[in-house]
Amino acid sequence: MSRGRGAVDPKRVSSELFSLTYGCMVAQLLKDFENPEEVNKQLESMGYNIGVRLIDDFLAHTPSVTRCTTLEEVADILCKQGFKMFLGIVPEIKNWTAAKDEFSLVITENPLAEYVELPPNCQDTLWYSNIICGVIRGALEMVQMDVKCSFVGDTLRGNDSTEIRIKFVKILEDSLPAGED
Amino acid sequence: MAVCIAVLTKDNCPLYIASDPAEDGLKMHFLVHTSIDVIEEKLNSATAANDPRDLYLGQLYPNEDYRIYGYVTNTKIKIVVIESITNPLKDGDARQVFSKVHSGYISLVCNPFYSPGDTITSQPFLNTVTSLMRGKAIA
Repeated sequence: MSRGRGAVDPKRVSSELFSLTYGCMVAQLLKDFENPEEVNKQLESMGYNIGVRLIDDFLAHTPSVTRCTTLEEVADILCKQGFKMFLGIVPEIKNWTAAKDEFSLVITENPLAEYVELPPNCQDTLWYSNIICGVIRGALEMVQMDVKCSFVGDTLRGNDSTEIRIKFVKILEDSLPAGED
Repeated sequence: MAVCIAVLTKDNCPLYIASDPAEDGLKMHFLVHTSIDVIEEKLNSATAANDPRDLYLGQLYPNEDYRIYGYVTNTKIKIVVIESITNPLKDGDARQVFSKVHSGYISLVCNPFYSPGDTITSQPFLNTVTSLMRGKAIA
């Protein structure tokens, strides 16, 4: 990926390399922590750290995106532009609650999970792509939205679809540090 | 119709051997084992002949009941297919079988939870091999 090579666009990486890298990372985390629940937490916090940085990159590359006023707009931009830009997929938005504060993202083709088969010991506990939940939470926190994000189904686990549930909690107000006016 | 498909590592350890239940499993194991020698011999002579490495080795040696075909990948993973003489595979078909097994193996290796060298227990790979053994029509 060195900038000197003219033949390959330095900003593009082979998706297989990306899937293999992520896969090895999850496998290594499992070996280190041995507890799938712990690995889920680690993936989420890694995703959070990615998300807080990714949001600036996203906003810089999409000047057409304006301040969102409703959760629906947020969901729309998240799927049609955010996911498209970074993962090359457009998830579907489904299952809105009546109060319009919670919705589901359904991913049909997950590029992170190509060729992956979960080992039997974490078949029921590991959320393989949990990093995505962290990214969404981190990115939205940086635009003053507090959301809860979690997986409810994964094709790797045998569910019908890979589905993330996103619940809006509150708008974050910037608070002054203690001691200042 | 293939009666046995076997996958071996570069140290000739069996990763996966599956044979048609109608056939004698032990005999299949034995035939696969003997074919290792023939493959090694072909590999050693192939370096002199400058053949490309992931070569379909063709029929390995004659046997009154079975035809045995071999295939080696660049990473020295050997695939052996044994099929009965009553229903011989054509050359093109045999290559197809091998390339399907090879692609199944590649998908398996890309799974981050599989370490190369472990015996193969992955369901998709087993399904591919079973369907190949069951009928040429599917292959």
